[in-house]
Amino acid sequence: MSAAPTLPRPLRRARDPARPGRWAPAREQLAAAGGQVGAGVGNLVFTLVAVRLLAPDAFAQLAAFLALYLLLHVPAGSLAAAGALAPHRVAGARRRVLSGGVGVGAALALTAVPLASLLNVGVALLLILALAAPTAGLIELERGRLYGSDGRRRVVASLLTEPAVRLTVGLALAATVGAVGAAAGVVAAGWLSLAVLRTGAGRHAAAPARGRLDGTRSAAAPAAMAGAFLGLALVQNGGVLLASALLDAGEAARFAVLATLGGVAAFASTTVPLVLLGRGASEGGRSSPLAAALITAGALGGGAVVIVAAAPELVVTTLFGERYAAVAPLAAPYVLAMALLGLARVLVAHRVAAERWGQATVGLVLAVGALVVLAVALGGGAGGVALATLVATALLTASVAAPSLPSAGLRGSARDARQRAAQRMRDALASPAVRAVIALTLLALALRLAITRGIWLDEATSIFQAGLPFGRMLEVLGASDVHPPLHHAILWVTVRLLGDGELAVRLPSVLLGTALVPALYAAGHELWDRRTGLAAAALGAVAPLVVWYSQEARMYALVMLLMVVAVWGQARVLRRGGAGDWAIYTVATVGLLYSHYSTILPVLVQQAFFLTAVLRRRREGGAKRLTVGWIASLDVIVILALPLVGFGLDQFAVNEGSGRGFEQPSQAGAGVGGRDDPAVYTGLTSLVWGIWGYHSQTTMAALGSLWPLLILLVLALLGRGRSRAGTLLAALVIVPVGGMFALGLAKPFLFELRYFIGAVPLALLLGAHGLVTWARRPAVRALAVGVAVATMLVGLVDQQVNGANPRTYDFDGALARIESEARPGDRVFYAPSYLNNIVGYYTPQLGARPLPQETPRVPEGGRLFLLASFLENPPTAEAVGTAVSRLGEREELVGRFSEPQIEVWVFE
Amino acid sequence: MSPASDPRLGPAPWSAAPPDPRRRLALRVLLMLALPLAVWYFGWLVSPQRIGNPVLYGLLIAAELFNLIQAVGFWLTLARDRPRPDPGPPPAGAEVDVLVPVYDEPVEIVEPVVAAALRLRGARVNVAVLDDGDREEMAALARRLGARYVRRDEHEGAKAGNVNHALGVTSAPYVLVLDSDHVPRDHFLEATLGHLADERVAFVQTPQCYANAPDGGIAAASWAQQALFFGAIARGKDGWGAMFCAGTNVVFRRSALEEVGGFPLTSLTEDFELSVVMHERGWRTVYVPEVLALGVGPEDMASYVSQQQRWARGCLGGMASALRARLPLGMRVQYLLSGMYFLSGWTVLIYMSFPVVRILTGEQPLDGASADQFLLHFVPYFTVALATVAVAGGGAYTFQAFALTWANAWIHVQASLRALLRVRGRFVVTPKEGGWRRQPRTVLPALVLFAVLVGVAVYGIVRDPSPAVLNNAAFAALHAAVLLTGASLALVRPVSPRPPCAPPQGVSPDRAAAAAPAAR
Repeated sequence: MSAAPTLPRPLRRARDPARPGRWAPAREQLAAAGGQVGAGVGNLVFTLVAVRLLAPDAFAQLAAFLALYLLLHVPAGSLAAAGALAPHRVAGARRRVLSGGVGVGAALALTAVPLASLLNVGVALLLILALAAPTAGLIELERGRLYGSDGRRRVVASLLTEPAVRLTVGLALAATVGAVGAAAGVVAAGWLSLAVLRTGAGRHAAAPARGRLDGTRSAAAPAAMAGAFLGLALVQNGGVLLASALLDAGEAARFAVLATLGGVAAFASTTVPLVLLGRGASEGGRSSPLAAALITAGALGGGAVVIVAAAPELVVTTLFGERYAAVAPLAAPYVLAMALLGLARVLVAHRVAAERWGQATVGLVLAVGALVVLAVALGGGAGGVALATLVATALLTASVAAPSLPSAGLRGSARDARQRAAQRMRDALASPAVRAVIALTLLALALRLAITRGIWLDEATSIFQAGLPFGRMLEVLGASDVHPPLHHAILWVTVRLLGDGELAVRLPSVLLGTALVPALYAAGHELWDRRTGLAAAALGAVAPLVVWYSQEARMYALVMLLMVVAVWGQARVLRRGGAGDWAIYTVATVGLLYSHYSTILPVLVQQAFFLTAVLRRRREGGAKRLTVGWIASLDVIVILALPLVGFGLDQFAVNEGSGRGFEQPSQAGAGVGGRDDPAVYTGLTSLVWGIWGYHSQTTMAALGSLWPLLILLVLALLGRGRSRAGTLLAALVIVPVGGMFALGLAKPFLFELRYFIGAVPLALLLGAHGLVTWARRPAVRALAVGVAVATMLVGLVDQQVNGANPRTYDFDGALARIESEARPGDRVFYAPSYLNNIVGYYTPQLGARPLPQETPRVPEGGRLFLLASFLENPPTAEAVGTAVSRLGEREELVGRFSEPQIEVWVFE
Repeated sequence: MSPASDPRLGPAPWSAAPPDPRRRLALRVLLMLALPLAVWYFGWLVSPQRIGNPVLYGLLIAAELFNLIQAVGFWLTLARDRPRPDPGPPPAGAEVDVLVPVYDEPVEIVEPVVAAALRLRGARVNVAVLDDGDREEMAALARRLGARYVRRDEHEGAKAGNVNHALGVTSAPYVLVLDSDHVPRDHFLEATLGHLADERVAFVQTPQCYANAPDGGIAAASWAQQALFFGAIARGKDGWGAMFCAGTNVVFRRSALEEVGGFPLTSLTEDFELSVVMHERGWRTVYVPEVLALGVGPEDMASYVSQQQRWARGCLGGMASALRARLPLGMRVQYLLSGMYFLSGWTVLIYMSFPVVRILTGEQPLDGASADQFLLHFVPYFTVALATVAVAGGGAYTFQAFALTWANAWIHVQASLRALLRVRGRFVVTPKEGGWRRQPRTVLPALVLFAVLVGVAVYGIVRDPSPAVLNNAAFAALHAAVLLTGASLALVRPVSPRPPCAPPQGVSPDRAAAAAPAAR
């Protein structure tokens, strides 16, 4: 008899403790993070309850105590990282840390009295703080040891012990003894937390961390780790110190609120790098702790950002009260900064653990330096320090991210590809040309940050529009503006992330204008050679007009950058034809169309160039690949740009219907050629502006008279031959300028340099190529480029600082003076009426109104201020002149002052 | 020049071939635009409202009209630039006397010419070295290579007389004249003799080409000038039937030469005069736009000045012949245009004087005209005219060539004054090897003009930096920059020739050219 064979039930595979599961790192991170979050929430609840239990001055004392307690623990936190990295060395360090802690405590106790008066904190509280000093370092050291030796459960337990004790013992003592009781509860929680950590310490004392190669790690590693985390603490808390030093009490307090909020995000992700260090960099490639750590830190920080960004006013006022509602716009950006710090903390730990502390050190030094410099430069308020913190943490994250990411959780060929890319980047960074471009880019950034003028009319309008809800903003653009919405959308996001301060709203243009420098290098290199690229980058870094519009919260810097990127993309397409190259070109082109309608002209030129290339390759054989790519790209551009057609037609119809149209005189060459419509001289003026920037009427008249030198330039082109690259760039410069000139004959307002500003960087590219090929000797070539850069620098300085520059409008100065001189009961009027947005931007509380047709009266016992600008506009000049004349007949003119392009009369 | 570094044995650095269809189309478009834009400009310029200072205005109009005539002439010449059909093979059994007149040229310059002449294919060649220097080494050269050595007792008439004497002691039905530095390609006769199958053709001219042009300096700049002539202009003149002899690289029908009595002895440009006479007698001429011989251009300013002085004096004198001769109108115009070119130096002086006069005296030629209006009318005309030169020249005409002309405009002035005063010139052989040193004296007039322009401009700016003065200072700076560019060729040490591809001894230039890299 035979029985049907039965298949044995498959056995469950036994877990190999030496090979942890795929999701183990994530589980460990979540567990630790959960403990940390729980501790944070618990401590926050303790604070919120204490604020209700204690009298205000007692709570203030407790808050001061907590700040000092934090000051003890934050630097000590670096010991946790050291302990996680080398847990077997903790035993040897314990005594030293304890001794140090005791010493700090003793010092605190001995200096309690003078410190108490200096810090305005009770002596008792300082004495209690002295009791906490010995535990600060030990707690962090033990936690680190446990992270490094798989004792995460005990860590979580200790984390949760603190809030538990605070919420029980601490609150009970607070209710009975007051702030001192609460402080004692906090210290007791720390001691108990240490006890939890030390329980069963013998079992874990000698266990090495998994995945660690202790035999090969250097003795300096733990110290380096501690130093790195100390640096991180500086970046995290440096803002608070700088705010206290630089700002007045009110702004410093506002920043303290921000720091508290941001501390939530930073605190939540504190344990993440410790878990990472405990697990090691990798374990046979089957799991990736770095990836898990980054994801966890990102999720924690990102979650905090989302929560705060969703309802910033609600969060701030709920937690801190109405008096701090003003910091709500800064909440999300600052929490973002701390979220980035969480990521940076993981990456720094990873770098130091891999004994690449040099890279981490560079990043930390850069970040701290940037924080200090920017805080000093921008620190006029909490927003400036917040922005400085954001930039510093972004810089830190970026600088440590690049080398670390190649091994962040990627497998096999993806990791290899990323590592090859990283190697290529390292090789590129070693190139002198790339280093020169980096230096030029930094120079460009510095020049663009040196803003010497306030917000002007168009910017104020854009800022107002960006402040509206997104849908409403699009409606307003459609009904009253003449530009497509891409830059407005960027500004909308910017305002919500960074607020509407002058630098904040201009930051996108600053960054885009700075990015133009490496873009010019890339384009020049692709079209011709590295020499041309470097020369173009040098010119682009200092070109006055480029700098000007990199400092303006409008779309012009975006247009210039996208134009260069589109040209670069097209060159790559024609040379290589890869999908990525087509993507670059297509995205840049769509971006151009969504930035400014006049970019349709250069886009058409580029399309014509593609067509000629296709036809030429057909003659030579082998046009299929180019044809397919071109058609696909064109389809995408058309499809994505279709919505613009309706949007633009609506704008045009509304503008024409309302009589606004384009009937204003051309702004180009105003006052130089003596005429309002486009003419040859206005073209010359635009050329001078394009290369050497905006200058006073006198300077422009003088420069314009030098036009015969252009004949020399034309003659110098004889015999230089022709290249496709040169033909393309020449067409991209000539066609848009010529097209706008032709349109300007019918609508003078259209012939305006800003409307063909994409031609400016391309002209710089052409000029750069001419300069580096004009002479054979390298010294002469370098001299030619140097002279060109020098003339541009002279033009830049004159443009930026010469008050006679007709493009400089100092609304900020004029309104600030009115605001400082106006008294309650005074009335302020302005003309023309479209100054409303800029007046509202700088002095919303002034209550200024547009000048009515009927001349207003000076209020009883008060004064009347009349601010006027654009007086070259006849209707405005007439209205203002009439008002001033009539007011002069009735009232006494008691004051008059001028700022660049602004006039103010004061009547009483 | 050693055989190892002789660029004449390498590939030709230029092609005289007609333009491709795309360039031809571009030229046609430019030519269509040129005349209306000239009318646009001159219609505005020639108006009583424009008159500022009458004398200066008159000078301006004269200069502009002169240049307009030159420009229109140029356009008319270009309009006849058409490819010539292939002539067919040389007549069977043809015999050619190859005459190489020499005077004081170094042996190493002449040797490759004679050696290459002996290798010419397509006919039976008799090579003769016509030595007016009576040198033993030249006789030894001829013996060594197997060429005939011809010496004459009387040395009248310079090169023309030398060739005429050789005509008397040679007898082949065709005569090829080669300058002592022009090395012919092996297929020279195969490419030219076929045209002489037409009994009415007196000579077949081929381009001169400076093999040392790629070395830069004077040779490059002067070659750029020649390239425009031997390219579009020569092809156009051929289209008008008015191509004249250039003195070298030309194959004659002996009977045509004998009919006119050989080369005229009374002119510095005997080839120009000869052509007038032949055309008057009804003979036809042919231009073959293919580089069939490579020579050496002037390598220093002294050589260039000497050459230009001879050409200017000779061509200006030849204008009288062209005016007197019974020639068809189109042909006469072509001769006059070529001669008139050597009057253009006067217009340069006139233009340079305007900013100086304006700054020093306040007088200017134009009035009642804003810069806007001037630019609106002048710029399109100027741009199209310049573009026509650039496109017609195929990119060969350079700024250095233009500047060299301007810096030596004084030569035209000197030659025209001498022609007016009937001062006879002296035939001076253009040196074939450069002096390799700076030669500031050769550009002294240009330097004086430069100093005047710069000095006046600086004076004007210092005294009155108004836009009007700045404008004239800019004009002065423009002229000064062009002068300095042209003069700098004599002020910097000439670049010694770079070693090109050179074949081993005994290898023909054609084989060397075929094996060498593409044209520089």
